Amino acid sequence: MCDIADGQDHQLDPRVIPLEQATGAIQLVVVAFWSFAGLLVGMLVGDSLTVPIRLGLLLLWTVLVGLGAWLAFRWPARVYAHTFYRVDGQGIEIRRGVYWRVVINVPRSRVQHIDVTQGPIERRLELGTLVIHTAGTAHAQVALTGLEHSRALALREHLLPSGAGDAV
Amino acid sequence: MPSEHRLHPATLLFDLARHARNFALPAVLLIFGVSRSSGGPGGMFGAMPEGWEVWLPILFVPAAAVSVFRYLTFRWRCDERELVIRWGLLFRHERHVPYARIQNVDAVQNVFHRVFSVVEVRVETGGGKEEEARLSVLPRAAFDEIRSRVFSSRPAHAEHAEPPVSAEHSEHPEQAAPPAHPVPTALLHLNLRELLLFGFLENKGMVVIGAAFGAGWETGWLDRLLGRYVTDGPLGRGFFRDLFRALFGDGPLPVAPLWMALAGIVAFLLVVRLVSMGWALARLYGFRLTRMNEDLRTQYGLITRVSATVPIRRVQTINIRTGLLHRWLGRASVRVETAGGAGEGSAAPMREWLAPLIRVEALPQLLQEVLPGFEYAAVTWQSVHPRAFRRAIKPVLMFLTVLTLLLATANIWVALGVLLVLLPWLSLSTRKHVQHLGWVEGDEVVLMKSGWIWRQVTVARINKIQVVAMHQSPFDRRAAMARVTIDTAGAGAFSHRVDIPYLDQQLAQGLADRLSAAAANTAFRW
Repeated sequence: MCDIADGQDHQLDPRVIPLEQATGAIQLVVVAFWSFAGLLVGMLVGDSLTVPIRLGLLLLWTVLVGLGAWLAFRWPARVYAHTFYRVDGQGIEIRRGVYWRVVINVPRSRVQHIDVTQGPIERRLELGTLVIHTAGTAHAQVALTGLEHSRALALREHLLPSGAGDAV
Repeated sequence: MPSEHRLHPATLLFDLARHARNFALPAVLLIFGVSRSSGGPGGMFGAMPEGWEVWLPILFVPAAAVSVFRYLTFRWRCDERELVIRWGLLFRHERHVPYARIQNVDAVQNVFHRVFSVVEVRVETGGGKEEEARLSVLPRAAFDEIRSRVFSSRPAHAEHAEPPVSAEHSEHPEQAAPPAHPVPTALLHLNLRELLLFGFLENKGMVVIGAAFGAGWETGWLDRLLGRYVTDGPLGRGFFRDLFRALFGDGPLPVAPLWMALAGIVAFLLVVRLVSMGWALARLYGFRLTRMNEDLRTQYGLITRVSATVPIRRVQTINIRTGLLHRWLGRASVRVETAGGAGEGSAAPMREWLAPLIRVEALPQLLQEVLPGFEYAAVTWQSVHPRAFRRAIKPVLMFLTVLTLLLATANIWVALGVLLVLLPWLSLSTRKHVQHLGWVEGDEVVLMKSGWIWRQVTVARINKIQVVAMHQSPFDRRAAMARVTIDTAGAGAFSHRVDIPYLDQQLAQGLADRLSAAAANTAFRW
């Protein structure tokens, strides 16, 4: 599969944006639910809280949840715009990060094994996550979410060490 | 077919002793700790007869029976290519461990082992989820035989004769050439004075004291001590009240209790150092580092004697550490990180002592043993970006601003006081830290040094590099700098690694590219 190792920068599949938005929304719902429950319990227990304070807390919660929702909607597109990967004969280089940027370079000769995983939403969108396992410690697993599933499989085929004598 | 061997009969004794030890402590606590039985009328388990807990140690019997059966059915033998062990009566197990996958064969001996002249042999493959094989206990001669069989079958050792074997076992079939015994080269030996010095410098006393603290709490001894000095005594709540009143209000300073508290703290610190020296003595007594062909062997221990092997080619990084006292005394502390076994992702990380304490003059020679051709004394360090301080001080200033603002909401004078103290200190330490950063890129190794008071140097072999990463925080991007990190196998979560900050962006890019190209062109062999 030489066409996958073209040494060009590629971006992720654009469908990763709705994927991340959906994931973010689910997380936000869970957090909002539990924080609201906590808030209710606090207000029921706290008899000394006057009405303005209660209204203020509710307002604060609403503002925070609104902020979270806006971020969950906006942020994935920014992450998409700042994520690139490049594959060549030597290995894979992944560039990501909006504010804190990182360039990770995994040589082919250092790949231990590779997983391609798919969550339920990913399955519906035909996307996959490529997880590269190395023998390192800080980067024992290098994950790339949002690749088209067949492309992720092709990358796995290319990156896996194909027997001894491959690298000098 | 090589003959099968059994474990040494003393195994039964050791296993039973181990079970007894597991049961003894709870049994003692049970008998002496519980004032009333929880059975009988009025107790928690009223339905049980009074004093029923005394019968709990009866559970010891099945555990002992399992041990006996294991001993009776255990067999081991050294085949041509693998070590085979079998055990079990009802559930039979047979394990084959190929010599090629064995990384270490270590022997552990504590006081009781030495009485019977036996050892507990640990065979480490280090591979993924496989458990290492543990043969407990074997006679010393059997350990030597296993070790020589395992390491003599290495292809690299084909031309070397086997290591010295004791006289009774000299009939090995593959010994074709006349036996030329390679002499192990002694590299380091720590005598008593060095060991005590090491304990003093290392200051591990808190670990032991923490354990003592736990024990003291359990037995109530700590309560009595605290009660005498703190709760009812001069250092109790009244002391802190008076102290706060003196500092923040207007009250007299409680001088006498203050001196007592200070004396107590000083005494405590001294005790911690003394305990640390004792710990070093017990743990590393008779430390010997020798080199045997392609392995480094360490032997140490007073009560528990450990004989460990570090194959040189499995060394991933070397870490040299010096503190202020180390430098005054001209010493350093060297550790290696190894990883081994071709298993699943996380290989068993191991940090071994190479030289707990060594004279700085002897350091280059020791490093040559592990990295032949490497001249540590001839290293010329490159420093980081000249404007690194300006970049490094920014997060510090941000942190101080936030802290001061937060404190100012409570008390403006406290906030200003904290700022006045922290600002010069943090500026100085940041400047010193940046000054002491250095790195070198060689042909086979990459080095990095960092630290002002506690200095560490990490030497990483290029052919052991796993992943190369380049990081840029928002501050870095403004200053056109970057940080290059090298990931190796077997590093601890908090251990020092080659993590070079404040590099010029182009330089960092070039370095990262060269290192990853070098890593890509070399196959990684465990």
